[in-house]
Amino acid sequence: MYATLTIWSKHMTKFFHNYEELGGLLMQPILWVAIFGVGMSALIGRVEGSDYLNFMLPGILALTALGGAVGGGMILLEERLRGIIKEYLVAPIPRLSILLGNAASTVTKALFQAGIILVVGALFGARPSGDLIGWLGALLALVLFTLGFAGLALAVASRSRSIMGYHGLIFLFNLPLLFASNALYPLAQLPGWIRLIALVNPTTYLIDILRALAFQGSATLPLLFSFAMLLLFAVAGMSLALVGFRRAIA
Amino acid sequence: MAGSIIVARGLSRRYGSIVALDGVDLNIAEGTVYALLGPNGAGKTTLINLLTTLMLPHAGSAQIAGYDVVRQAAQVRRLIGVTFQELILDRDLTGRQVLDIHARLYRLSPALRRQRITELIALVQLEEAIDRQVKGYSGGMQRRLELARGLMTEPQVLFLDEPTQGLDPQNRHAIWEYLQVLKRERGLTLLLTTHYMEEAEALADVVGIIDHGRMVVEGSPAALIGELGADVVRIVGSGDTAAFLEHMRAMPYIGSITHDLEPGAIMFGVEHGTRRLAEIIAQAHRNGFTISDIEVRRPTLGEVFLKHTGVTLRS
Repeated sequence: MYATLTIWSKHMTKFFHNYEELGGLLMQPILWVAIFGVGMSALIGRVEGSDYLNFMLPGILALTALGGAVGGGMILLEERLRGIIKEYLVAPIPRLSILLGNAASTVTKALFQAGIILVVGALFGARPSGDLIGWLGALLALVLFTLGFAGLALAVASRSRSIMGYHGLIFLFNLPLLFASNALYPLAQLPGWIRLIALVNPTTYLIDILRALAFQGSATLPLLFSFAMLLLFAVAGMSLALVGFRRAIA
Repeated sequence: MAGSIIVARGLSRRYGSIVALDGVDLNIAEGTVYALLGPNGAGKTTLINLLTTLMLPHAGSAQIAGYDVVRQAAQVRRLIGVTFQELILDRDLTGRQVLDIHARLYRLSPALRRQRITELIALVQLEEAIDRQVKGYSGGMQRRLELARGLMTEPQVLFLDEPTQGLDPQNRHAIWEYLQVLKRERGLTLLLTTHYMEEAEALADVVGIIDHGRMVVEGSPAALIGELGADVVRIVGSGDTAAFLEHMRAMPYIGSITHDLEPGAIMFGVEHGTRRLAEIIAQAHRNGFTISDIEVRRPTLGEVFLKHTGVTLRS
């Protein structure tokens, strides 16, 4: 636990010292909201009874969490390729703490970004709603989702031999996950086959929860079911990461 | 053996079908500076990886301070410090952060961390740079920081894999000086790999020469050099080398013959080199070997190495 905390705090220190990473992470959501969001809402107006900016903010949160997970994997990959992981491996700390420290810093950064998106979204006219319980639920959903993808990214990062290889693999599941979901358009309007893909896509469950609990929307899927799917996804992702990581250090 | 802090028995490791380490035994007494010498690919780093619990052996066993490196890896990790062959530093952190985070992984208290950092940056002379980011450090400063990091936890055994690789002579000598201070003042046990002969000669109590994954010879530098004879007569020339060497081998005063193929030099280990000079020249002449250069000198660890591995290590 203490080692996890140490590794987490190291990543956070590096994060706040690295102005490129910080700036990139700040700008990305701002651009999504300011350019894509504002443009699309001028085009579309209202979706399912809610303002389009409100409708798509959960999608931007999901996208950002995905980006955060990819970044978290990059940090592990870099520590692996540059040998920094050896410092951990010869230290008297549990192997698991290396992975947990990484997942923890990834989630922290994603939540940090989520906060910025909400502020920027509000500045551009989005009106999040919901009570405290609702927001806690939304937070939990976002954490589970980020953990799941951080797990996938860490699993890939445990095996990749190069940064290029890593990005190639990550790209395969990054954008399709956003497009084949309810992030940008309502589930009901999707053709059958995409809806099927969307239903095995964890992004769909996160967005449905976020809309229902924090963005004036209504759930199109049972909430508890969505939470269960996200929990399953988080466990599956982290398990994959653990298996990949164990192999990598053996 | 009583007092042994590093013990290995038949330590072996393969990579696929390549045998990197082939049954190495070690017995290193506490407080010893042990230098592992060997050509590239000899198995030095593999041996370090096994002893520092980074890798599992395929055969054999090893103990550090009585703890098995496989079954009691956690205890071993608590006792050792390691610096690796490549520079392993977070370039975005300051030197102080690097040291502090490292010590936190070992659960040192904040007060102890502060105290050790102050002591160690004085030792490795990084007081001025310690609050700057590592990316601005020179290679020598990074090595010094790594050395300080390895010492943060006051390890009982410090492993240094090529601690001065790529450093200019000035920085190399600085690192040697720190290591000599540590040896003198703390009685630290040190296992280092190097392919600099002067490094082994300057630091080591015991030298182990490793080649093709096997320990070829082990001993104090003085004893190893002594085995070659009191002097070395080094000849460079051309002609019927085979006949000349054949003939020389039969001479009773020749202790050892080594042949360095690359510059075409031949080394004879002899007692009283200057007295045998005339005779050696005469023998060369008689056997159709033309001498272009000849010298008599005290043997070095380099010649010991050449004798046992058949290759020269170049600094």
